Amino acid sequence: MTEAQAPTTTAEVAGMGHSMKRKEDPRFIRGQGEYIEDVVLPNMVWMDIVRSPYAHATIKSIDASEALAMPGVLAVITGKDLEKAGLHWMPTLAGDKQMVLPVDTVMYQAQEVAAVIAETRYQAADAIQAVYVDYEPLPVVVDPFKALEPDAPVLRPDRGPEKANNHIWHWESGDRAATDAALAASDRVVPIDVYIPRIHVASIETCGCVADFDPVRGHLDFHVTSQAAHVYRTVISLVSGIPESSIRVKTHDIGGGFGGKVPVYPGYVISIVASLTLGRPVKWIEDRSENLQADSFARDYHVHAELGLQNDGTITGLRVKTLADHGYSDAAADPSKFPAGLFNVITGSYDIPQAFVEVDAAYTNKPPGGVAYRCSFRVTEAVHTIERLVDEAARVVGMDPAAFRMKNFIRKDQFPYHTPTGWDYDSGDYHTALRKALDLIGYDELRKEQAEKRARGELMGIGISSFTEIVGAGPSHTFDIIGIKMFDSAELRVHPTGSAILRLGVQSQGQGHETTFAQIVAEELGIPASKVKVEEGDTDTAPYGLGTYASRSTPVAGAATAVVSRKIREKARHLAAHLLECSADDLEWTNGKWSVRGSPDRFKTIAELAFAAYTNHPQGMEAGLEAVDYYDPPNLTFPFGSYVCVVDIDKGTGQVSVRRFVAVDDCGNIINPMIVDGQIHGGLTMGLAPSLYEEIPYDENGNNLAGTFMDYLLPTALETPAWETAKTITPSPHHPLGAKGVGESATVGAPPAIANAVVDALSHLGVTHMDIPLTPHKVWRVLHEKGVA
Amino acid sequence: MQFQGTVEINAPRDRVWAFLMDPDRVGSCGPGVESIEVVDAEHFKARAKVGIGFISARFNVDMTIAERTEPERAVIKAHGQAPGSAVDATANMALSGPGEGPTTMDWSADVTISGTLASVGARMIEGTANKMIGQTFDCIRTKLEAGG
Repeated sequence: MTEAQAPTTTAEVAGMGHSMKRKEDPRFIRGQGEYIEDVVLPNMVWMDIVRSPYAHATIKSIDASEALAMPGVLAVITGKDLEKAGLHWMPTLAGDKQMVLPVDTVMYQAQEVAAVIAETRYQAADAIQAVYVDYEPLPVVVDPFKALEPDAPVLRPDRGPEKANNHIWHWESGDRAATDAALAASDRVVPIDVYIPRIHVASIETCGCVADFDPVRGHLDFHVTSQAAHVYRTVISLVSGIPESSIRVKTHDIGGGFGGKVPVYPGYVISIVASLTLGRPVKWIEDRSENLQADSFARDYHVHAELGLQNDGTITGLRVKTLADHGYSDAAADPSKFPAGLFNVITGSYDIPQAFVEVDAAYTNKPPGGVAYRCSFRVTEAVHTIERLVDEAARVVGMDPAAFRMKNFIRKDQFPYHTPTGWDYDSGDYHTALRKALDLIGYDELRKEQAEKRARGELMGIGISSFTEIVGAGPSHTFDIIGIKMFDSAELRVHPTGSAILRLGVQSQGQGHETTFAQIVAEELGIPASKVKVEEGDTDTAPYGLGTYASRSTPVAGAATAVVSRKIREKARHLAAHLLECSADDLEWTNGKWSVRGSPDRFKTIAELAFAAYTNHPQGMEAGLEAVDYYDPPNLTFPFGSYVCVVDIDKGTGQVSVRRFVAVDDCGNIINPMIVDGQIHGGLTMGLAPSLYEEIPYDENGNNLAGTFMDYLLPTALETPAWETAKTITPSPHHPLGAKGVGESATVGAPPAIANAVVDALSHLGVTHMDIPLTPHKVWRVLHEKGVA
Repeated sequence: MQFQGTVEINAPRDRVWAFLMDPDRVGSCGPGVESIEVVDAEHFKARAKVGIGFISARFNVDMTIAERTEPERAVIKAHGQAPGSAVDATANMALSGPGEGPTTMDWSADVTISGTLASVGARMIEGTANKMIGQTFDCIRTKLEAGG
């Protein structure tokens, strides 16, 4: 267990373990990134969208005559127009369908109702004000529990008479009978009800596109903010009938994705229809309120969980019943066999003999979703539940929460570990990670300080979260999205003069792929990372891939990059044998060169071999030095970590301040330590956000009450504490580089540490649970009820 | 949202009733009202510009006098739409007191606001609505007491 493995390459080569500065940053910090807003094409026109004020209403009429008479207005598109082409509904990635534009009924406040296309952005924005829509309000269903009551209005009559209710699906995992028996035989059963509220990814760049159909060539160039360009191309081809060879999806730089740029949004489809109709490029970019009100949300899980315990604190079983609010359509981007994502990883870091998890999903009058916001398919919900529940269990049996975790962790010698819900954890060392976190924060001293402060009436809490992530989807026998297996790809071409281009099927949204993946090539081939150009996001050139989300880039495309580099290394070996006039079997690979075993002065560098591949390759050998790999991982990877957080609570205002936060992460072998730390800093801040600030509430009429950054609060640098990060390293045994992925660990792990700290600060008042976000008002109300404030 | 209140108007009850049932006169007291169009005895339309905080919207409102018991009680329903926002309201009012005045008006309103105005202006709606209602009744009382 070291802080970081020592690099084996020089700083010039910059293979694994080097904190190479990010190759993409010079253009970003100079303002020279190219985002969707920067795509300006000749003859381009603008689209803007008319949205519904009602959460549920019948559309009686749409009068666009005034808008059509306004200057610059070229067209108004409604659901009735799309219906003629059969494009008024579209499939979601979750196998449901959602409206592109409604023909007769709107299903949520801010839903798209009509689109206006005009010569300029301002003309389009003015003209949407002049489209008059006459609505007849319908009863609104906001609460998913009420949605499932027998007398609730049926929101989706399109599903036919046999599905005349708002229940979408039921999913379960684990052994129900064995779990019931385990809980019945336990000394105690500790229950908890946790609501993980609806939140939004709120990326800096909102979603947008430029649809550019050329009627002469019959070709569609589609520039779009997408985390999964190839999947988009396939979906567009299937829906439009345009051959995939005549569609090019191009993503450019993306200003944050976090899962919100996986779904296909109605605005994209309408833009394509508009471009097909007008024969001109059509640009659409949503504004901030549209982004917050209409794009796919995350979370929104109502969880009831029960933990079986022996009196000595040994966990015996876990039973979980969950209701998922999906809005009016299930537009989640989960693998198709997993409608609740990987939520059944909820046994977490603990050796739990029996577990049973069930999830039911309901329709409500809210935007469709939900996406995994910087978490691998519902893992945030699972980790929040189990980490709150073990804290509560420790309290009930009178144990310290750290000691309770240590007692119940899966031991290092139990890996690979098979969970009762069917996962095979690859590797882990949970005791070491928590011990390190406790030592770094000075846990025992903090408990003494807490006792002293409590005696003086001050409120201080310490919270722990020991999470296990599940990332890198996935093995193709289990994982697919709309039938496309979740492999990923890398294509590497080494040029005659020794530099290279690497093309990938994944998509950076700020993660630093151009640097990280170049470093993998550098590690495997000895080509300096600075000479490896990494290209993504152009479906005309990149190999087919499933895109970047759920921390899958390093586990899957990173593995593909390692394997494709090794394929090239193997070809280079035969070139070296030819040049050195020896048998390939007599060669050994060290530090970027093939040398004759026993004669280290007889060698050929990768640069020499690359040149020979084009200038001096043996007769009968194919020229060139390039390869492609489609990597199908044998298993997922399971990063983990232990976080400890200290909070102080102001008794007068209820304001929670995070005083210290120690994050010990284990993501296996590390490619670029600086980038990993950056990911963790960002992830922790995005974990702080829903803990203390973020939520999208709805009023009883279905109005979204967090439609701007005035009401949807994000932490700024002022609210963000100084994160203290550290590592343990437990390599993945099946990943070619021993890496596990890290993008989401901190977002998953941080919220329960903060929530546990707040509950801990208030535990002597009888507080046993509080749902996030822990806003001053919510905390003050509890303090007020307890007679403290 | 529920609103209610009581207003004392120093004017005979039938004059108060006549004023309240006259769309042009009562409409002139509505904040932001730009035009009133009488469709028939029960229906009229208004166009009004309403601002909450930094958002303002021009509403087209259809109003219906759903019940009337002269000169005691009336129920008015309103359905207004603006781009991205909508308002639906039912207002009850009851007049009491001696025929020659002063007249007591008890009123209540059930207002539903939808769309951008509710979403973005949620925290300011109640205060703004109270202010606007107050202005409306001040205007009605002032005009009636001045003999209008």
